[in-house]
Amino acid sequence: MRKQLWLFSVVLAFALIAAACGGDSDDDTTTTTAAAGDSTETTAAATETTAATETTAVPAVDTNVGLVYDIGGRGDQSFNDSAAAGLDKATAELGITPSEASANNDGSNREELLNLQADESDLVFGIGFLFGDPMLAAATASPDVNFGIVDGFIEGAPENVAMLLFAEEQGSFLVGVAAAMKSEAGHVGFIGGVNMELIQKFEAGFVAGVHAVDDAIVIDRQYITEPPDFDGFNDPASGKVIAQSMFEGGADVVYHAAGGSGNGLFQAAKEYSDANGTKVWAIGVDSDQYLTAGDDVKDYILTSMLKRVDVSVYNTIKEQADGMFAGGVKIFDLSVDGVGYSVTGGFIDDIVADLDDWKAKIVSGEVVVPSTP
Amino acid sequence: MTDRGSSLPDFTGAYRKIVGKPGPGRSVSWRVWVLGGLSIVLLLSVTQQFAKLETSDLTSSGTWLIALAWSVPILMAGLGGIFSERSGIVNIGLEGMLILGTWFGAFGTMLYGPWWGMVIAAIAGAFGGLLLAVATVTYNVDHIIAGVAINIMAPGITRFLASIHFPERGGSITQSPTIVGVSNFSLPFLAGGTIGGWKTPDTLGAIEDWGWFFISDLAGILRGFSSMSWLTLLAILIVPAATLLLWKTSFGLRLRSCGEAPHAADSLGVNVYKYKYFGVVIGGALAGFGGGFLSVQLSGLYREGQTLGKGFIGLATMIFGNWRPVGTALGALLFGFAETLRLRDPSAAHGLLLLVVLGMVLLILRALYKRRTTAAAYLGVTAALIFYWYITTDSVPNQLPKITPHIAVLVMLIFATQRLRMPAADGQPYRKGEGG
Repeated sequence: MRKQLWLFSVVLAFALIAAACGGDSDDDTTTTTAAAGDSTETTAAATETTAATETTAVPAVDTNVGLVYDIGGRGDQSFNDSAAAGLDKATAELGITPSEASANNDGSNREELLNLQADESDLVFGIGFLFGDPMLAAATASPDVNFGIVDGFIEGAPENVAMLLFAEEQGSFLVGVAAAMKSEAGHVGFIGGVNMELIQKFEAGFVAGVHAVDDAIVIDRQYITEPPDFDGFNDPASGKVIAQSMFEGGADVVYHAAGGSGNGLFQAAKEYSDANGTKVWAIGVDSDQYLTAGDDVKDYILTSMLKRVDVSVYNTIKEQADGMFAGGVKIFDLSVDGVGYSVTGGFIDDIVADLDDWKAKIVSGEVVVPSTP
Repeated sequence: MTDRGSSLPDFTGAYRKIVGKPGPGRSVSWRVWVLGGLSIVLLLSVTQQFAKLETSDLTSSGTWLIALAWSVPILMAGLGGIFSERSGIVNIGLEGMLILGTWFGAFGTMLYGPWWGMVIAAIAGAFGGLLLAVATVTYNVDHIIAGVAINIMAPGITRFLASIHFPERGGSITQSPTIVGVSNFSLPFLAGGTIGGWKTPDTLGAIEDWGWFFISDLAGILRGFSSMSWLTLLAILIVPAATLLLWKTSFGLRLRSCGEAPHAADSLGVNVYKYKYFGVVIGGALAGFGGGFLSVQLSGLYREGQTLGKGFIGLATMIFGNWRPVGTALGALLFGFAETLRLRDPSAAHGLLLLVVLGMVLLILRALYKRRTTAAAYLGVTAALIFYWYITTDSVPNQLPKITPHIAVLVMLIFATQRLRMPAADGQPYRKGEGG
């Protein structure tokens, strides 16, 4: 028995050391990632937020907004973070009361989290197309609550669901133009996370943008996985291998639409540049990845295709707060700045004028960007 | 060192049957290895030549360099399984130990650099092994249930720890900040390595560029094997080290005896509990190392769910390798190569069909030589069908390359079940003094 006690104390000690050796994080009150069912924490956050808004004299609106992130949660430095930015902006400017949750590892609790948020909220967001079926069920179960699905289309959705879609092909077209103008080798690449309709829109726009500048530019295109295998969004090691192969093959600008796997692309760009003395570029996606990808790789991020999930989330919350919420499909395209490109880092300052020309042509309808490759 | 005089049975002959080389001693002659290796290169070379591939990725040094690195996490999981199962404990928890390794490897690297990161990853994996050992050895919990429990617990632990440590360091609850792994080296004179700042000629690289049939292909593959990261080299060295430890030392003999006949071992004075603990904890440490390699070296950051079932694939390669390190290493390399090729050049997968046909032709010739006509006929029909598929199509479905190694392992298991031999007491509960 004594021996077993000894073993357990070793195990316990190990766990305690691991948990302790990094300091605490008591100070982050803004990111209360409300764990499922933790209502006390949510209420506490709510009180604090109200207190904060009173001091800054923002008119407090009695609107509760629940937001369910997809796998990865707040801090994925991409899609979810963009939604979080919209929610934070709404919290600061509109004085709504936010509540957040993240889907678990395999995403099996999306519907439960939506239902949980629906109990307390007036408006519930699901971030990502994978919320389609769960949201259909949750929205049918709670007809009094409004729902918003980012990036997803639901067949036969009830009236209380707003489907926030983006013209990704238009944003991708612009970064395609940037890639073509910045490529010295006349050879660029595209890495998709999962070979599905949504990601093919990125590919189609990018290819059209590159070829709009120069038809002769070679484009390598590759997807990490095929549906129904969605690992391709979560596999930086694979992203890195593909990117290495493209750089070795002569490409000098590579664009990714692969979620978390894109980190591998940035690493590959840095390593290839370091090893060969020639600078190769990566193009980020969804949010401004120059700001999020880390200090050692940010100098290799030419630009990012911005998918303004924050705009869509903020606008929808504003409509809800103003009592103007309407269900159905809403497309955020270049004309409303629902998509775009980033200039942080200053690497494309010299071609911004060209990009704006193309943008104007797309908005005016002079150039129509295809959405299938 | 080896006390072969003991009454314990030595089952190592099973491997001999697989290789088909009965002879004195269990080691296969080095000529067999060289010939086998060369014929594989020849097969790849012929495929490369006749399949009209767009790239030379089948035999390029870039592919093999990455393939080697990619096989490391799987190899480490497989070796971890060997240590555990040779001591009689079925280890389903390898995936969980890999996951622990990915988190602690990344965290340790952030704090103390990649080498200490790998040490910490191995310790974390060993901790997972210790948990499994406490449950299965001390409390006789069913091995499968205990292993599954570890697989469920590990992601919970890592997410909890990540939520404490990563957000304030520029990461998130599911992702660490980017980290930098261990550097690569190249062998001087062969792959253009440097000696004291002087860059030696890249002999193999030059030969690879000639584009000669077979010669250049061989050079490409060899070049892939002669420049790698120091961690990859360490991982490769663990394979012979594990073989020596398990088969050439009294420690190894005792550990294996616990997996074959624990009561007999006990009657001869072996502390069975102790050796089972050793087996599972060492196995856990290896799996943790594999996980750390995945996050630190291959991905450059920790990301939740990045193991993608590599622990289970490791288990499969362990069985593929007949609970032996070298066979497991070959299985891991097969997975690593297939995965790398899939990522680098999906079009090469179509060429692989031709490779399979060529391989089957060799098997047919062997079957005919041994006068096994039925087997030859079956193989012939299958090969003809695959060849028909090859010449009538231009590409294969993109899903196929990803499952190719899985199919290979399945086929291997189907055809070799009679020859595979797991440790006799693997998975059975053990209580001292209750032996029959």
